[in-house]
Amino acid sequence: MRFLPLPGSTVRFVVIVTALLLAWLVWGSFKHPEAFWAPGNLSRFHADIVACGDCHQPFRGATVGKCIVCHEEKRFAARSRPMVSEFHQKWIREGKSCAGCHTEHRGALAQITVGAMVNPHGEFIFRATGTSSCSACHDISAGFKSRTHLLDNAIVRHLMEEGEGAHRPGKMASCLACHIGGRLEIEEEDD
Amino acid sequence: MTVVTGRFLIVIGCVVAIIVGGFLIEVLLSLQSGWLFGHTQTGHVVGWIGLAVILTVFVYPIKKRDGRESGWPKGWFMVHQAAGIVGPLLILIHAGPHFHALVPILALLAMIIVVVSGVIGVAVHRKALRLLNAARRELLSQGLSYEDAEDRLYDLASGEETFRIWQMIHTPVVVMFLVLVIAHVLGALYFGGV
Repeated sequence: MRFLPLPGSTVRFVVIVTALLLAWLVWGSFKHPEAFWAPGNLSRFHADIVACGDCHQPFRGATVGKCIVCHEEKRFAARSRPMVSEFHQKWIREGKSCAGCHTEHRGALAQITVGAMVNPHGEFIFRATGTSSCSACHDISAGFKSRTHLLDNAIVRHLMEEGEGAHRPGKMASCLACHIGGRLEIEEEDD
Repeated sequence: MTVVTGRFLIVIGCVVAIIVGGFLIEVLLSLQSGWLFGHTQTGHVVGWIGLAVILTVFVYPIKKRDGRESGWPKGWFMVHQAAGIVGPLLILIHAGPHFHALVPILALLAMIIVVVSGVIGVAVHRKALRLLNAARRELLSQGLSYEDAEDRLYDLASGEETFRIWQMIHTPVVVMFLVLVIAHVLGALYFGGV
């Protein structure tokens, strides 16, 4: 088989394009780091974070040290149930990583806890109600494995009224059947 | 449809099938584990193996350009072709159909262009060249002048020219691919940890 070396003009073109590509990568890394490097959008829990360095330590990833800057131990313990708090403290004491159970960059409405109870409504429910936790509408004091119970509070009552009969027990798991594409408004059906 | 066009369509069909197949495997693995496969430890390992396989591809062009080597390194060309399909397939499984960051998207795109141009170079351009040379020999043996033969071979020659372009972009795009892969690997290690 013949071996034809690349023409000089092609080599020059490749060198110029490669130099431009490198310059563009450097410029983009400083100007738009998320667009260049992030594998997905941050979840609603971390949407306010603006700098990659807030969570990532160079060549060490998302470390516990970075997590506890915001999720400070005492504040976390005060705001969570004892079982949850103890579990996390034990985990950190054992030197395990938060990233062992939590993930990120999976989209604004994604779950970030692996193995967490599957939300039958989808993450759309949090956007629709403005809540951020299952316990805003459900009594889950009996634990995650028991059947959850609906609370009788302002959020739940408002949701029931808004649905005009569509929002009722047994019908809440398929939000996106009517709220197509995750939109709050629903299109009127033609008669 | 000419033989060469038929081959071209078969090659494109195979490439599309491999891309869809690779992505489908990633989707199934992701559904099984609940994590995006490329973000799992196994996914990273598949990425590293894919990269290692792709690197073996470069032995052939190095040997080819090495002045000390006598003759064409046919064995390494076989490795070049096989690893040029297997490595990218592993990378497709590692990547999956998740497109967000520009660097890996462009690296994936460059990889696909390199593979497509390579396969077209081997499977289509070489066939077009062989057909053109055989037809030229046939016409010349019938007593036609070289100019008359070239006139009659216009369609075949322009087809060969078109597919030669694919072969010509193969090497230059490899350089872009390498730059983007190195950037992607460094970025993944920088943000994800060593």
